[in-house]
Amino acid sequence: MSFEMWAEKYRPKTLDEMVNQKEIVERLKSFVKAKNVPHCIFAGPPGTGKTTAALCLARDLYGENYREYIMELNASDERGIDVVRETVKTFARVRSIGEVPFKIMILDEADNMTADAQQALRRTMERYTETCRFILCANYSGKIIEPIQSRCAPFRFTYLPREEHDKYLRYIAENEGVSLLDEGLDAIYEVCGGDLRRAINTLQAAASLSKPIDAKVVYSIAGRANPADVRKMIDVAMKGNFIEARKQLREMIQKYGVAGSDIIRQIHTEIFKLDIPEPWKIKLADIVGEIDYRLVEGADEEVQLSALLAKLVEAAYEMRGSTKKV
Amino acid sequence: MYQPWTVKYKPKSLKEVVGNKEAIQKFVDWVKSWNEGIPEKRAAFIYGPPGVGKTVTVEALANDFKMELVEKNASDYRTEEAVKRFAGLASQYGSLFGTRRIILFDELDGLTGTADKGGVKAMVDVIKTAQCPIVLIANNAFDPRFAVLRSYCLLIEFKKPSVTEVLKHLKAICLKEGIDAEENALKFIAQRSEGDIRSAVTDLQALAQGKKRLTYDDVSWLGFRDRQENIFTVLRMILYGKTCDGAKRAVNMADVDVDMLFEWIYENVPNHFTDPHDLARAMDALSMADVYRGRIKRTQDWGFIRYVIDYMTAGVAMARVNTKTSGWTPFHFPERIQALSKSKEERSIQLEIGKKIKRKCHISATRASKEILPYLRIIFKNNVEMAAGIAKWLDLTPEMVEYVAESKEKAAAINKLLG
Repeated sequence: MSFEMWAEKYRPKTLDEMVNQKEIVERLKSFVKAKNVPHCIFAGPPGTGKTTAALCLARDLYGENYREYIMELNASDERGIDVVRETVKTFARVRSIGEVPFKIMILDEADNMTADAQQALRRTMERYTETCRFILCANYSGKIIEPIQSRCAPFRFTYLPREEHDKYLRYIAENEGVSLLDEGLDAIYEVCGGDLRRAINTLQAAASLSKPIDAKVVYSIAGRANPADVRKMIDVAMKGNFIEARKQLREMIQKYGVAGSDIIRQIHTEIFKLDIPEPWKIKLADIVGEIDYRLVEGADEEVQLSALLAKLVEAAYEMRGSTKKV
Repeated sequence: MYQPWTVKYKPKSLKEVVGNKEAIQKFVDWVKSWNEGIPEKRAAFIYGPPGVGKTVTVEALANDFKMELVEKNASDYRTEEAVKRFAGLASQYGSLFGTRRIILFDELDGLTGTADKGGVKAMVDVIKTAQCPIVLIANNAFDPRFAVLRSYCLLIEFKKPSVTEVLKHLKAICLKEGIDAEENALKFIAQRSEGDIRSAVTDLQALAQGKKRLTYDDVSWLGFRDRQENIFTVLRMILYGKTCDGAKRAVNMADVDVDMLFEWIYENVPNHFTDPHDLARAMDALSMADVYRGRIKRTQDWGFIRYVIDYMTAGVAMARVNTKTSGWTPFHFPERIQALSKSKEERSIQLEIGKKIKRKCHISATRASKEILPYLRIIFKNNVEMAAGIAKWLDLTPEMVEYVAESKEKAAAINKLLG
């Protein structure tokens, strides 16, 4: 068993090693052949190989010293307009001296850039096209402003098909000398839903227990790795214990740093799984939607989400009343 | 001619000062000790709530002891230089005319932040070499700004006088003004003043001047003074408010800012609105108040603050439809405020670890701390060797290892492997 992060160890190094996203890989290979790359948007859910594809493309294009020709920026960490003005511009305008006349800027999680920064980026892209090409990686291309989208070749990444996912994890397990049972593999797919990074992290965390990986192990890992036990919080609220529910919410936000938008998305998903009368589900969805909107407008995530919890307490109370009457 | 009774009936002698007999005695003893040479503490720091007679005591003492009182207010000693100008005065015990001197720095609370920092420092220097008694007065002597200053001073606390003591003072004034006052009318005024003699006398003058008789009915309608009510009173007015106006007025009485008041309300609403409908309505009002806070942030237009206040006070008060107001429910300090400082620290180490992960894993530090850190936690808990390998690979510091491992023993084992 090796003691580094497996998700990195098994990250493909070249486009040839990329087993999935075949059509995309073929097009990227043709860029390498032509030694020309347009500005690109790699859009798709997490763990589907966007960053990997960008890195592989760069390595194939520039060779082993590819790091000298690229710059990786993470918009989640550096999302402001100043970064575009300073860092991006400085990198973009200096001509590279290799065989390939341009450098590549990889902007990861680009959908987290502010609108201002995107506007600034648009001008930078235009001005320095000669010396620098941009690859924007994003979960949602819709959050990238139109003018940038129209300047980029779009690539849509999708979740790995089940067979590819299984093949990959089995290969890693074998290589690391880990016993991965079929039911364990099923459970990983169920929990991670094709997000390969999460799947590999789950596998490694499960392997750290030093026993055969079955479904039970996987579920316990997933439960512990995901502190946002939103379902539990909803259940507490529906039982009428608002104060406890708010405490759990507070813990998620403060201790584990879970984003309010993530929590509300999960609440929305969970609502339709609740054991409540069907018409109520849509009523609750409406309430969630309203708070989701206020979350965007408001100043404080906990305040907004706890207002939602109070509505859940109220709804559950009304439901109990209506079933009694019947 | 109109003359405030607070001035007209200001004690001329220590004998007339209301209450605080022990504190006054302590002060007198200290001043007297100067006759036998310079005492260990060359300054006295008198502190206590407003209107309890701190300044009056010093003035009365100077009068009784025939000392020259040099008095300075906050506005006079804003800077180091201004204070140093008094250094000369302070360096001699007696004045030109042979009388002894006492120097008073009043209203020290008025010193603001950094602008007056030099002032406090210079004051310490003056005290160190003072040849005559120096008196400092403030409401709160334990303000961190006065930490150094305090160590050079004899601390004397002035407390609120009792209702009986205030009442006695009011009676004496009525006698001199020839007012026939009902006992419970004066008692009402004394009680409402909460030990603030100055405000009690001001109230008495407003209600009784020019009258022959003062009855309970004359005073009972007395409106609220815009005194800064303590937070519990304010919360009660909001959480149990019957009218919008009443709830809204509470904001002006709070001695905390709107954001902090919001925290108090947000913390305490659930305990005081037990009916699910009321609770949902009250929380909804807070949610809307927060939306307006967001709008202020975005537009930088502080005019929207009035809607924040509407929702968080009147909105919350009007949410009460079913919940009975019976029984006594305690108020809690906003837990979030306590937790915030701790979680700030936590967030910062999380982010530092996130940055380490970012360097290796092509993922933003923010996301790394959310998506990868939880897995590391599991690994660090279960597999010391793998943890050590990863810690080395990521180049984590021992503190980071301890944070991830969530246990000192585990961290020690991992750090040992790292050598």
